[in-house]
Order: sequence, then C-alpha cells, then structure tokens
Amino acid sequence: MKQLDYDVVVIGGGPAGMAAALKAKETGATVAIIERNDELGGILNQCIHSGFGLSYFKQELTGPEYAELFINQVAAAGIDVYLKTMVIDLTPARQVKAMNEDGMLVLAAGAIVLAMGCRERTRGAIKIPGSRPAGVLTAGLAQRYVNIENRKPGERIVILGSGDIGLIMARRLTLEGMQVLGVYELMPYANGLYRNIKNCLDDFDIPLHLSTTVTNIIGYPHLEAVEVAKVDENLAVIDETREVIDCDTLLLSIGLIPENELSQKSGVSLNSRTNGPLVDEELATDQPGIFACGNVLHVHDLVDNVTLEAEQAGTAAAVYALQQKAAAVSETGPVVNKATVAIGPGENVGYTVPTKLTIPSQKPIRILFRVRRPLDQAEVVVQAGTTILYQGKPQAFKPSVMEAVMLNPAGINGLNGSEQSITVSVREVK
Amino acid sequence: MNHYDIIIIGGGITGTAIARECSKYQLTTALLERGTDIGIGATKGNGGVVHPGYDPTPGSLKAKINVRGANRYPQLARDLNFGIINPGIFVIGFSDADEAVLKQKLEYGIKNGVRDLAIIDAGQMRNREPHLATAARHALYAPTATVVDPFEVAIAFAENAKANGVDILTSQPVTAIEKRADGSFLLNTPEQQFSCSYIVNAAGNHADEVARLVGIAEYQMKPRHGDLLVLDKDMVNKPQTVMFPCPGPDTKGIACIPTVHGNTIVGSTATMMDDKEAVNNYAPGIQALIDGVHKILPELDAGKIIRTFAGLRPVVLDNNNDFYIAESQTVKGFIHAAGIQSPGVASAPAIAEQVRDLLDNAGLKMVPKSDYNPYREKPTDFDALSIAEQDALIKHNPAYGRIVCRCETVTEGEIIDAIHGAIPARTLDAIKRRTRAGMGRCQSGFCQYKVIAILSRELGLPVSDIYLEDRGSQLLCEAVKGGVK
Repeated sequence: MKQLDYDVVVIGGGPAGMAAALKAKETGATVAIIERNDELGGILNQCIHSGFGLSYFKQELTGPEYAELFINQVAAAGIDVYLKTMVIDLTPARQVKAMNEDGMLVLAAGAIVLAMGCRERTRGAIKIPGSRPAGVLTAGLAQRYVNIENRKPGERIVILGSGDIGLIMARRLTLEGMQVLGVYELMPYANGLYRNIKNCLDDFDIPLHLSTTVTNIIGYPHLEAVEVAKVDENLAVIDETREVIDCDTLLLSIGLIPENELSQKSGVSLNSRTNGPLVDEELATDQPGIFACGNVLHVHDLVDNVTLEAEQAGTAAAVYALQQKAAAVSETGPVVNKATVAIGPGENVGYTVPTKLTIPSQKPIRILFRVRRPLDQAEVVVQAGTTILYQGKPQAFKPSVMEAVMLNPAGINGLNGSEQSITVSVREVK
Repeated sequence: MNHYDIIIIGGGITGTAIARECSKYQLTTALLERGTDIGIGATKGNGGVVHPGYDPTPGSLKAKINVRGANRYPQLARDLNFGIINPGIFVIGFSDADEAVLKQKLEYGIKNGVRDLAIIDAGQMRNREPHLATAARHALYAPTATVVDPFEVAIAFAENAKANGVDILTSQPVTAIEKRADGSFLLNTPEQQFSCSYIVNAAGNHADEVARLVGIAEYQMKPRHGDLLVLDKDMVNKPQTVMFPCPGPDTKGIACIPTVHGNTIVGSTATMMDDKEAVNNYAPGIQALIDGVHKILPELDAGKIIRTFAGLRPVVLDNNNDFYIAESQTVKGFIHAAGIQSPGVASAPAIAEQVRDLLDNAGLKMVPKSDYNPYREKPTDFDALSIAEQDALIKHNPAYGRIVCRCETVTEGEIIDAIHGAIPARTLDAIKRRTRAGMGRCQSGFCQYKVIAILSRELGLPVSDIYLEDRGSQLLCEAVKGGVK
C-alpha cells in the first residue's frame, strides 16, 4: 500500500480539476490530480463539437482541443497525475483512499479540491412508466457510444428533455445518419442554450415540442415506441393529446446532478437546491481545507466558467494548505474566524453560489446564480434587508444561462452577519 | 439425448431451491430455464422480504410451508454465503379496526409457529423508527423477519446444485412434452431434446402453459402485478425495519423495505392482470406507492428514487390464494410447484422439501449422497474487504484494481468472475445481479459501455450481440463509421 503526502490533492481530472491543480501549483503547493479514467480531460473528451473556449481563450475550440491545452500545461507544470485511479473514500481529516492497478493508495492532503463533475438524471429519477427494454439511455452515454466507442445506439431516435447534451446529440446523431424524430420538453421553455436550439435543432429541421413529455415506454425486449402527450400549465398530462411514436431509441437529457457521494463521506454539507456543497466566497466547504469547483459544485452551462471557478478554488486550496503548514511550523494559533454573512436566492432565483460570505472582505466577490423561469424584462437586485447592494440593468433571463454579479466589499463589510443576510432577486420590470 | 431422473422446468427461486434439494440425492437432475439467466421471472420482481408466516390462514399449505421455509434462511445464508439482514417487520395499525386485524395476525402467527411475535405500542415503534407517521398507533412486531436479494439466493441455490451435479441450462424454453408408454417424458426445447422420469413444474407464471403441454388442465393462472420503487442508499432517515400497513384481503399492502445493500425498496401494488409478459410499471401504481409509503414515513424523500421495477406474482385461480404443490391428478410423475405467489421467497426452501417428499411418494428412490457439499463459496466482493485485503487482491490480479461501476464500487475482476462463474453471466443484467454493477444511482450511465466491452471480450462476441437481458435486447447497433474498428 502506497502512502503519499501532498499540499493539495485534486479529485477529478476534468476541466475543473486541471484548472484548480494548475493554480494550486502556481501558488507554490505540491499537487496531485487523481483521475479515474485513462486520460485527463473528463467529459470534454467526448464533446467533439465546437463552442468551447470563446470567453476564456477567445477562440472557438472543440472539447478535446480545450482539454488538450490544459493537459499540456499540467504535464509541463510538475503536477503528479494518477490516471486510472479511483478515490473510494475521503475523511474529514483529508485522508484520501484510492486504488488503481498497482494497489491501494492513501494520500494525506493539506487541502482537497473536489472536482468530480456530475452525472445524468435517469429514467428511474423521473419514473417514466412502461416496459423496461433495451434502447433507453442517457444522452451522455449515447455521446460516449457514438463519439468514442464508434457505435450507434439505434436508428430512430426520440429525445426527452432539451438539456444541452440532448440538443448536441440531436445534431450529432443526425450527422451520423440516424433519424432524430423530435425533442420533447416537459417545460414550456427549452432547458438548453439558445445557440444550441438554433444550431442543433433549427438548422436540421428537428422539431422541439415544448410542454410535452414521454408518458409510456413501449416494447420488450427492445424499445419499439414511446407514447408522448402534452401537459397543461400544472404539468399534468392532457389525455386526449396522447400519441404513439415508433422509435428504437429514447435518449434522456433531463438534467445533471453533481456527484457528491464522496464529498458526503468527508462530512461536507450539501445545498439542497444545487446538490453541490455549501461554499463560501473562497469556494471552501464547511469542512476545513476542502474546496469544491466545477459541476460537482453546481451544474454549469459553459466550461469557460468552470475553468474560472476552478482557478479560484485551486488558489484558495493552496493558500489554505501552505498557511496551515506555516502555522504548524511557527506554532502560532489557528486562523482567526472572521464573521460571515449568509447569501441566498430571493424572488425568481433558484440558488446562489456561494451561500455565505466572509466579512470584512478585501476584494470584490463574484456571485453566481440562475433564474427559476424565463423572464423577458427583469433586473437583478441584491439586498440586505432594505439596503440595496447591487442593482442591474433590465434584461432578459433564462434558466439555461448562469448569471454572475460582482459585489463590492464596501457594501457588505458594513453588515452585521448574525442579524442580516443577503438575497439575490431578479425582479420583473413592467 | 440425455436422460435424467428429474427435469425441473423453471429456474426461479423455487426451481433452483428444488434443484439444490434434488442434488442431495443419488439422482440425475437437470434444470431448464427459458430465460438467458436464472432468477429473472417473479424472482427478480419482488421486495425480498422473507415473510415469517403470520399471514397465511392456519392449516393452509401456505402456512406450513411459509414458516418452515423462513426458518431455514439464517442457516442457508451461512452455507451458501448470500446476503441477509434481520430488520424485523412492523405491521402497523392506525385504528381500532386495524388493531383487531393485528390481533388476528398475532393469533395466526402463533398458531403457524412464528416465534417472538408481539403487539407493540407507538412508543416502542418510535424507539426503532423515529420518523414514523404520528397516526401509527400500534404494530404487530415480527423480530425474526429477514430480507434477502431473491435473485442472489436463486443464483446461490443454482451454483450449489451445479456443484453437486445438477445440469443448469439457460435459454431452454420447453416447447413440447410427451408422456411415453414406458412412463418417461420426452421434452423439446428449440435446440435440444431431453428425456426424464419425473418432471417438476416450477415455471412460475407459465406453469399452467407448461402443464398443458402434456395435457394437464388442472388449473389456470393469472399474474398479480406489482409496481416497486428503489431508493438511493444515501437517503436520509432510512427505515431500519420492514414496515407494512395493516393488510388487505389479497395483499400485504405497500411497505418500505431496507435491502441487503443499504437501499430502500417501496412495494408493492397488487392488481390482477391478464398479460403474463407485461412486466411494466404503471403511473397510477407508482403514485400509489409514493402515497402509500408516505402514510408510514411522511418525510420519505421521493426525490431519492433511482429506479422503478415491477413483478408478476404467479396466482393459481380458484385455489384460495394458496400454493399448488402436488403430483398431477392425471399424469403420473409430473409434480406441480405452481402458484408460488407471496410468500414465495420465504417458502422456497420448504417447497423444495415438499417436492422431494412428493417425488419420494411418487416412487422415485431417494438415496442421499455421501459426498454432498452444502456450501457455496462467497464471490469476491471488493467493496466489503479491508484496505489491506484489497491491496493484496490487486497485487495478485490487477483486474481488481480497475473500478468499472463507481456507484457500487465494482471492479473488473468481479465482473470477469461473474462471466466465468458456475452459472455464467452473459448479459448486462446478469452481471448486475451478481456484482451490482449498474445497480446504483447512475443506473449504468457510466459503466454500461465498460461492461459491454468486458462481456464482448470475455465471451468472444461482437458488442452488437450483447443483451441487456432477454434475447432481442441488444444494446448497440453496428459501427457508426465502417472504416474504424
């Protein structure tokens, strides 16, 4: 059994893990990345379409190209990378138990960066009735089959859910000669980005059926058809609209869930709205020295934002680990706890990251959030009680787009954390 | 053509238990299963509760067999190394009328020979289950009740039977049976012919059809359908006890059931159906399960549902809801083990003993083997080992160092073991039942392609010939681009 020691151990070698590791290394820490797959890059490796990097690199890249730029930097930076290595336990004391073909590894870490990404919601989670045949799979698995394994999942495809992966796959499968019969979305609006609706559906004449869902799965041992139906404003099925569509494949693109089972083993508390850890403005969880970033923290729509977030977490993790090490050598006391003030969603907002801020703060703080429903004309209002800390200009908002506002330290440093909390609202402007 | 003393038709928990029982004697026995794996009919479609036996009417065949079978489980679990937990059962009353039913069940249970039954009050219940509905007033408590994974038990029975000389043959649907002049039987499957002296019909929901192949029309069957739900291991406030509401006339009601591996099952509904093949889930049934379990555990988080499934309980009509275990009235040497509805899991070991006695009575000479081995070795379960044991295992074989299923921590080594096991796993679901790969919260979204690749490699089959479960359930078509292999 191998025993190893690092200032920072990054769990997951996708875009979040690589960016965090690079910044941690740059900050002066010794860094390891533990990656379960046989190469770095995570899910980017199967995202062979373009559209990555527009904001971070100011150029349009494919997923593998975006990943490669970071893989090369990681290789040059002197970061220890453990591939085909699976973390199976993480303790609150930041001991990482992992395994690979050579045996078991135990890593002691000064700080941890959680960067495990997310998983797809399944048929079971939304309880679609019917038979349980072959031919029902998540969009991401289909992407793996087509782009990496070089296998068709079927010929006649129905897609449930208008998440970005489903939209991308509608185009991909069409280009590979499969027939995509339609995309069905329960909600009255699309869940994916506007550019994907346009580039992946409209340009290929693939119909998007809003307020429509799959109500029955038909056929055994293989899928033969699905029943779809329209839903009313309460999302209840309208019986007379039921319609059977012959197909051999149903792709599910019905949402992503941060993968936090390992985080929970370490005692990290989760936000029930995001299924990701509760974090402060440094992306520190409520377990000392454990940080989180990327899709394990909350599901992002753009990898560029993941990279920015991960750089922040990587820097913070390295600073934490190095300060703790220095404190241990100099035998000074622990870091003094500053005051905190809670921040959370108000009107029309689903969640915020972070959920608490440390005051006093020296620098502007970035708050990320999503709206719960599309709003044509609305403004962001951040306030503590009656004090307005930030007010945006009127604009349109969509749940598919992650929003960000910057808060000035001057505004929040005057708050009394135990008595006041901050809410982020998006108010309709008539 | 192979001649056997006994051919068992049907490889569910009943048929495999009978196969193991027969393997104790100096007999030649074969088991023919129509599916691609054993344990994939009614056996995989239930909640896994080993009912202790307070339900059946005293004096019925079910009563006798249920209690005897349930009592065999702790020893069987040790001998055959299958998972078992002992959560006990609460049958919960919410009213005075319910209390009368609970008292009747207590009386039944005592008459049937169930040990340690008691009626307990709300306070005693809440000590064990603090999140119980406040309306729960009293319960019949059956502390001896256990829970198993029925398909794991069937696999264990079959593997042990095979180790003791029984031929276990899958993908062998019996299509014709002829009773010959010399008293023996001739059986056809699409690919083979068999002959035997005795037939045991353990064909689950299809037992009446199998009987009809040899001209027996003693009974008719219909399935009683049930929807079930599986909840994630990481659900908060998980129940520690199997909890049923006060039962109805045909069903024990919707229960929450802790499983061997730490999930929670909610099941099941009970609806008589006509179609024996439609193992479907129905929207009203799923809703009834959620509503039903909320009457017992109001805070149970339905957002933690990771899978729905269904099962068909084989019911012999006009038989007082009882099992039908008897030699045929018209065809000598043909033994029925039919109508094995609930509590079929609990009863299986005792049904096997009953069938043994029926074979004995029918004239089959039952001479015990001197070299019968009652034990089955436990398959390697990487997740259950200490870190030192895990390290040693990987050093011995690096395949155990490659995680395939991250949700359930299943290694490639365990999957290879299952493929080359005594009852080989040849499908994705067969792998899942043996190793739990794909049984977790991602429902095989991350591991399916890996398991398909391992099956393809180990079996020497193209990936387009790998099934989910039954024939025709291919998971993948041809290559996207012909030029790349």
